[in-house]
Amino acid sequence: MKTRVATDIGGTFTDLVRLDEATGELMLAKSATTPDELAKGVLDVVEQGGVELSEVAELSHGTTIVINTLTERTGARTGLVTTRGFRDVLEIARGNRPDMYNLVPSKPTPFVPRRYRYEVTERVDRHGTVLQPLAIGELDEIAAAIAAAGIEALAICFVHAYAHPEHERACRDHLRDRLPDIAVTASSDVTREWREYERTSTAVLNSYVQPRVGRYVDALEARLHERGLAGPLQIMQSNAGTATAAAARGRPIYLVESGPAGGVVGAARLGQRIGEPNVLYLDIGGTTAKCSLILDGEPTTTTEYRIEGRPDYAGYPVMVPVVDIVEIGAGGGSIAWVDQGGSLRVGPRSAGAEPGPACYARGGDQPTVTDAKLLAGVLDPDYFLGGTVAVQRELSHEALSQLGQQLGHDARELANGIVRLVNANMINALKLVSVRRGYDPRDFVLVAGGGGGPMHAAALGAELRVKRVIVPPFSGVFSAWGMCLTDPRVDVIQTRIVRTSSVEAAEIDRLFAAMEGEAASELGAEREATSTSFARSVDMRYQGQEHTVRVPVDPGTSIEAVEASFHAEHRRAYTFDLDETGIEFVTFHVAGFVRRDGVEPRPPALPHAASRPEVKGQRLVDFDIDGIHDTTVYEREDLPAGFTAVGPLVVEEPTTTTLVHPAQTLLVDEAGNLTIELG
Amino acid sequence: MPAELDPFTIEIVRDKLSAAADEMGVVLARTSMSPIVYEVLDFACGITDAKAQVIAQTNGLTLFTGTFGPQVRSVVEKFGVDGMSAGDVFATNIPYDGGTHTCDVCLIKPIFLSGDVVGFAVSVTHWIEIGGSVPGSIPPDATEIYQEGLRLPGVKVADAGGTSQTILDLITANIRLPVTGIGDLNAGLAAVGIGERRVVEACERYGIELVGATFEHILEHGERVARAALRDIPNGIYEANDVIDGDGITDDPIPIKVTVTVEDDSLHADFTGCAPQARGPINCATGALLSACKTVVRAITDPGAKSNDGFFRPLTLTIPPGTVFSAEPPAPTGWYYEGASCANDLFWKALAPAVPDKLGAGSYMSLCAAYLIGTERETGELFVLAEPNVGGWGGSAVGDGVSALIATTDGDTYNFPVEVVETRYPVLMERYELDTESGGGAGLHRGGLGCVREYRLYGVDAAAGYGSCSGAQRTPWPLAGGVAGSHNFLEYARESGRHRVGRTPRVELVDGDRAMVVTAAGGGFGDPLERDPERVLDDLIDGYVTLARARDDYGVVIDPGPMTIDRAATRELRESRGASS
Repeated sequence: MKTRVATDIGGTFTDLVRLDEATGELMLAKSATTPDELAKGVLDVVEQGGVELSEVAELSHGTTIVINTLTERTGARTGLVTTRGFRDVLEIARGNRPDMYNLVPSKPTPFVPRRYRYEVTERVDRHGTVLQPLAIGELDEIAAAIAAAGIEALAICFVHAYAHPEHERACRDHLRDRLPDIAVTASSDVTREWREYERTSTAVLNSYVQPRVGRYVDALEARLHERGLAGPLQIMQSNAGTATAAAARGRPIYLVESGPAGGVVGAARLGQRIGEPNVLYLDIGGTTAKCSLILDGEPTTTTEYRIEGRPDYAGYPVMVPVVDIVEIGAGGGSIAWVDQGGSLRVGPRSAGAEPGPACYARGGDQPTVTDAKLLAGVLDPDYFLGGTVAVQRELSHEALSQLGQQLGHDARELANGIVRLVNANMINALKLVSVRRGYDPRDFVLVAGGGGGPMHAAALGAELRVKRVIVPPFSGVFSAWGMCLTDPRVDVIQTRIVRTSSVEAAEIDRLFAAMEGEAASELGAEREATSTSFARSVDMRYQGQEHTVRVPVDPGTSIEAVEASFHAEHRRAYTFDLDETGIEFVTFHVAGFVRRDGVEPRPPALPHAASRPEVKGQRLVDFDIDGIHDTTVYEREDLPAGFTAVGPLVVEEPTTTTLVHPAQTLLVDEAGNLTIELG
Repeated sequence: MPAELDPFTIEIVRDKLSAAADEMGVVLARTSMSPIVYEVLDFACGITDAKAQVIAQTNGLTLFTGTFGPQVRSVVEKFGVDGMSAGDVFATNIPYDGGTHTCDVCLIKPIFLSGDVVGFAVSVTHWIEIGGSVPGSIPPDATEIYQEGLRLPGVKVADAGGTSQTILDLITANIRLPVTGIGDLNAGLAAVGIGERRVVEACERYGIELVGATFEHILEHGERVARAALRDIPNGIYEANDVIDGDGITDDPIPIKVTVTVEDDSLHADFTGCAPQARGPINCATGALLSACKTVVRAITDPGAKSNDGFFRPLTLTIPPGTVFSAEPPAPTGWYYEGASCANDLFWKALAPAVPDKLGAGSYMSLCAAYLIGTERETGELFVLAEPNVGGWGGSAVGDGVSALIATTDGDTYNFPVEVVETRYPVLMERYELDTESGGGAGLHRGGLGCVREYRLYGVDAAAGYGSCSGAQRTPWPLAGGVAGSHNFLEYARESGRHRVGRTPRVELVDGDRAMVVTAAGGGFGDPLERDPERVLDDLIDGYVTLARARDDYGVVIDPGPMTIDRAATRELRESRGASS
């Protein structure tokens, strides 16, 4: 048996999915995450699932190590070398003040303090022409200072290095030679996109996590191979593709949203399989809800990602492709509270797993979304997380009553109010990834994952008027499922500003071809017995404007055709075009993929189609403005393909609960997806 | 209570109104053709009720925090609600009617439901060009508003039949970049259209009764939050005096003064004593003054909340007419944001001692907008480089001031990347760094550092520089025993020598000449002799203070060899300066 395996480390559990390459059969396993030694959790889940590593042709791995290292500030002591005159770019940042009425503002503290930022004489201009050669002679003194300071990782970022990376490379090689034990990142090794602050930040964050990620990947790879892993270890990247372990060590910042990217790929693959290439993906966990948009079967990526970025806080930019996810502080554990002016609020504070919602009886006395769902009858206290967690409905009631008193409402009214508010927050987030970017939700299906997604999806889908709602099987391990189906990917990005009127199509084609060559060589050995494919695109803008839109470019396309696509895309994104105005190419993108022979995962074994599922129970569920109804409850694994029923309904499974509102129709398809037609 | 007329639904409608204002902003930023709108975010959108009270507002800048109310009222006074019909849109850019400067075009659309006006959708956009004596319409030496471009005195620009051709022709004939201007007009029309539609949809879905109740709830909620916060401020009379250093015509200092009375949960500001309106364009009119004051009110109440006029119900003002902050026709107001930033700083300075956790010492305050214009040699094309500059903020009870942050008048405004500037304009940036030479204003919590941004003209045929920086003659004020910050200034390095200025109408430059913008450090908070010597040492190692300043300003003696604190010498020095321990 040849298999492909994916493991995904989450906050609480490490998930595993094994796919039999011959039969498409799937096996799932879960074990506790081991925060102090993440690799152990991976080996645990491999063991628990009884995976025979000698049969594994490829092991994909999603990990939180990069984001954890960044948010916990447990990375390396990092230094930075810049062009003379630009030592403070990292600290000046963009100077913006998103929290504009806060007159005692704060600003993100740089990951490299000023004392560890060094300047070297060198300069190139916007065309990449050298104005001042790199003063190699200055580097020895810098190397000595770096060694004396105990610096463990180093980033280099020079002005206009996207146009002329040679100075950064020479500096990198020289310092590596002098400082063999220090991880050195040149910004142009990570991205060749312009904007010096963002590129410096990206290089610095890459360096900051590099030693720790390197040790982790080394250890994991060694221990898996020790136990007989046959194929390579591939790491899930934020760009919706996987990377070799070696590439992950070199550019660890590409792993920043490793886990969530798996879910987005899963939603995209699911959409392709059911003939719905346009998908809104919603994942609701304990603390946050994440939304992402999948267009024409492919996840959308952005290079405008920020660590810790919020509407009121600038955060730290990471200018590499990251699946475009909007995350809000609204999940099952989100706490309801009353603000200074007497209004109800939900989140962003979460009760987490400790103390957890009031119903956990672990000392949490503030009502959460989960408490509201329990009181409304959506959740069954005797089947909470499949019966693995004992909860007390009375405690939910008590917490809701107490808060309700402040507002003059009883517990039940407050429970409805909380759900309504949290739904409104999620609607806003879903609109951010769709309507705000010029897409109409009515052209999309809503795929719901995570423990909370299926509980809210039917209400949200109805409000947004999406085509239908899909709750996939394995939604509890959906990210790992997606990772199992993820292909290797390498991105090459190059800023080169040139007017469309002053360049030939052949020149553009040569630039793309060179970038593809780079991507191909990085994809390297993985190309054997497989096919490599490339997606070309370019960010373009009208002359005089700053903002760009990305336009896909097929090989051999004429400049006129690219311009026409740009006008059209600009119209869609910005409602107008300027057909008299000159156009510029700004940044060129190549994504290289290794497309493997499609392994079709087999749907879960469903009960015989003709069988009538047993009703699991009957209970009163409060659907808020849709009324309180005596509602039939089913166990998901009892539902056969082709089963259909009209809401109100509750479908339970150990990791989640799907709610179908009155007058909505549930259908179970051949692949085991729950499909909700919204009527 | 009917199922949907409950407080939870009101919260949801309130979210929807706030989302509607955000959506207006997105539409405006997306459809605008002026970089100053989609890059500097020089715009705002919002919804008012039928009485011109702001219910929801999305601001790119704080400068528009107080302008919508008076602008809507000016149009209502002129036409009367009875004189308005569904589909009408009115335009005003008159500073004296609640506005700012002529470049900021405000569009107002009455929202009709069943024949009644239920509110107004409002947008304001900085047009990059609106005519007048210089391109860009902000002549630094203007003496009359007539030099500042086309005026739109509350005129109907559209009705149910569409945009008025007469108005379009007038605009096209009077501005230098009509395609961009008309584009911005259309962007504003799209934004107020979205605002109108979202309010109508909410009324249709939830009922006009509930939407009306939501309006009132929003205002009352804002008022409650504001009054609760004001009750925490000790009653008293708080005064501040300062000067504006020059009006663009002369460098003569212009005295300004405010007296703020805090009484229980209300706040009164009296601007009696401010100098008469100036000859140059540093003036602002009352709309911009309201923005300046309301920004501080937001800061001392609930800065994170969404803006609405309820927050300002506890605020009353005495504003004598015809002052530098309440200019009357035909005073120029092109650089109003410099005047407004001084008003904001003045009001802030008065209240800072009373609200130490929410207001720190003085900041660099001025955007220090420095223009470089000229002809690019390679293309023969004209270029106009104008950038907002970041600077140092004051220390506060909360901690050290922040370095290199955009001024109070702005908000989520980004500086321009060096690589982008050099690609678009014929300049080379010699350096962009923190101004460690000036350092931050010393204090228990020191001020943040300003910046040095130095350009070399690189490939120009002819060029000139001009600009307007407040702070060449005054410094950011300290608080609670701290030390003042440093100066903002512009410096031009030519063959004939160096030339340092605050405001200048024109300096001729040639290729290879350099222009430098230096922004001020913020003021310090608290006695510098009380600053932890370890933190002074850290600052020295990082280069934020010099060895001499560590000794002279902070009384900390550091041995520069091993970089250690000489504790005995430090104690002795601090005691000799009268430190308490």
